Amino acid sequence: MNNIHFPVYILLLLLATAVIIPLVGKDSFPKIKRMMMTVLPVTWVISLVTLMKVYREGSFIYNFGNWSEKIGVQFVIDEFSALMGLFILTMAFFIILYSLKDIEHEIESDQFSGYYTLVFILLFSMLGITFTNDLFNMYVFMEILSLTSCSIISIKRKKDNYMASFRYLVLNTIGSLSVLLGIALLYMVTGHLNITEAARNIAEIWRIYPSNILVAVGFMLTGMGIKAAVFPLHIWLPDAHSSAPTPSSALLSGVVVKVYIFTVIKILFKLMGINIVKSLGVPAYITYFAAVGMIMGSVFAIGQKDIKRMLAYSSVAQIGYIFLGLGLATKQGLSAALFHVISHALMKSALFLSAGAIIYKKGKRDIRDLDGIGYEMPITMVVFTIAAFGMIGIPGINGFMSKIYLSFAVLEAEKPVYLAIILASSFLNAIYYLPIIISAFLKEGKDRKNVMKMDDLPKRMIIPMVCIALGCIIIGFYPQLIMDLVEKAVPTFFMGN
Amino acid sequence: MEVLNSIIEHINYIGAVALFVIGLYTVLTHTNLLKKVIGINIMETSIFLFFVSIGYVHDGVSPIINLGGDRVIYVNPLPSALILTGIVVAVSITAYSLSLIMKLYEAYGTMDIDEIMELRSEATNE
Repeated sequence: MNNIHFPVYILLLLLATAVIIPLVGKDSFPKIKRMMMTVLPVTWVISLVTLMKVYREGSFIYNFGNWSEKIGVQFVIDEFSALMGLFILTMAFFIILYSLKDIEHEIESDQFSGYYTLVFILLFSMLGITFTNDLFNMYVFMEILSLTSCSIISIKRKKDNYMASFRYLVLNTIGSLSVLLGIALLYMVTGHLNITEAARNIAEIWRIYPSNILVAVGFMLTGMGIKAAVFPLHIWLPDAHSSAPTPSSALLSGVVVKVYIFTVIKILFKLMGINIVKSLGVPAYITYFAAVGMIMGSVFAIGQKDIKRMLAYSSVAQIGYIFLGLGLATKQGLSAALFHVISHALMKSALFLSAGAIIYKKGKRDIRDLDGIGYEMPITMVVFTIAAFGMIGIPGINGFMSKIYLSFAVLEAEKPVYLAIILASSFLNAIYYLPIIISAFLKEGKDRKNVMKMDDLPKRMIIPMVCIALGCIIIGFYPQLIMDLVEKAVPTFFMGN
Repeated sequence: MEVLNSIIEHINYIGAVALFVIGLYTVLTHTNLLKKVIGINIMETSIFLFFVSIGYVHDGVSPIINLGGDRVIYVNPLPSALILTGIVVAVSITAYSLSLIMKLYEAYGTMDIDEIMELRSEATNE
């Protein structure tokens, strides 16, 4: 149980599954289901073993084909990437378990094998980005990720989906190309693509070429900002996340956006190093954009009538929280950001899955039609309520804890203005989440009397939702469970200093 | 004269930046979807040119042992190798976006984004 090849096995298993699924055949969906539900737990266990190994023996590097890191591709498995790999696989397991039933409702039956092929390639590329320590390898994985994430939107044969994914694709490509230009500019001055080697060179030469490095960081951050939907660059997100099939929305909003945030963290703190980034003045600008995003995302969400579109705009605001945390450029800020990455993934996937369950059962997407739905689908609406309370920041749910950590980090960094913005954003969250909960539980339904009955949903859809909601509550009461792991991961970014 | 010399020396980089700006302008301003894709392709090409120019060494030969005889100055082969991967990625993006445009044309009967937006807003107002 001590194999250094384990991270690569995870990637290979996911890729092999993606290749085998179309070979199994279009008609045998049960076989595909069984295969996926064995592969995902196996990869989960492998990634857990990897995490344990990292905690026991420290981080390790993996050079592909034993090429030296100067010319070859290198994986770094440290406390951060092992933890985030486990996190991605956990979320993916629950969402895919939910999707097995829901997807029959969303797309046609001849597309199932294609859809799951794309999902597995998506998972493969997300784990690749998390583990890799090579800039160009990161770019290639990013392109795979952007192609697959566009395709799991456009797989639904509707006009809106084609338009949303075309816009997503164009903006994503502009983003990737800016990142590639940034990589080229860095390669010009450092001569290395390996992040560790390049960081060593940058530390020596950044005083000689400050403008070159500033331009490179600017291009890379702008590109990542488009992909991670930082406020003024978020325009693709509401269409893409709301028109996609529900499992895709949960994956895209919960996990895919977070992966780009990991790359931003890697670029800022691993490649550049905190001192250089601070003296170039980059983090301050990130916090400005984050603060505007926190407010504006919520303001846009208030006006939405479509429930999934509202959740998508709420993602813009929540991504603002994460970027505020990492823009503070302190240990507390970064740990708050990473904690919020995990807790937002839990809450937002619970919200999307329960909204998807309402659409699955009732076909209602309009917020105004949800009167009395809490009596028809109590489990779904309780899950929704828990996650929405988390978003608002009611104590006892993980969203509250991430706001507490973020507030302390802001005070620690002596920027109390942002505390006011966090509070204002929480109030705005309450404005658009509470009416749904109130109309679901307190208003009389239009068609029927409010008599309690259990949701008539398949078990496969209820179990993942309930598990994720339980996760929200458990982390809300015992935040140290996650925070301890995150606090072990954060120092990997501050080692050089 | 010095300025002119430095322009001639860095003509690759200047060309790459010019192409990048042309491509970005095409993507952002043109309403025709096909032209947007062409703009993306121009941007991609500009970055490939930029990347390959980084690896160029004056008077260098291709890095194959004994090809250059006694000369030991080689060009840097790594950027060219990377750009091969980049070209593959660019082709797949182009293919995917073209197939999306086909679907959009089937759905709306036009390739102009303004007209599509008009059709969509009419559909939501009804």
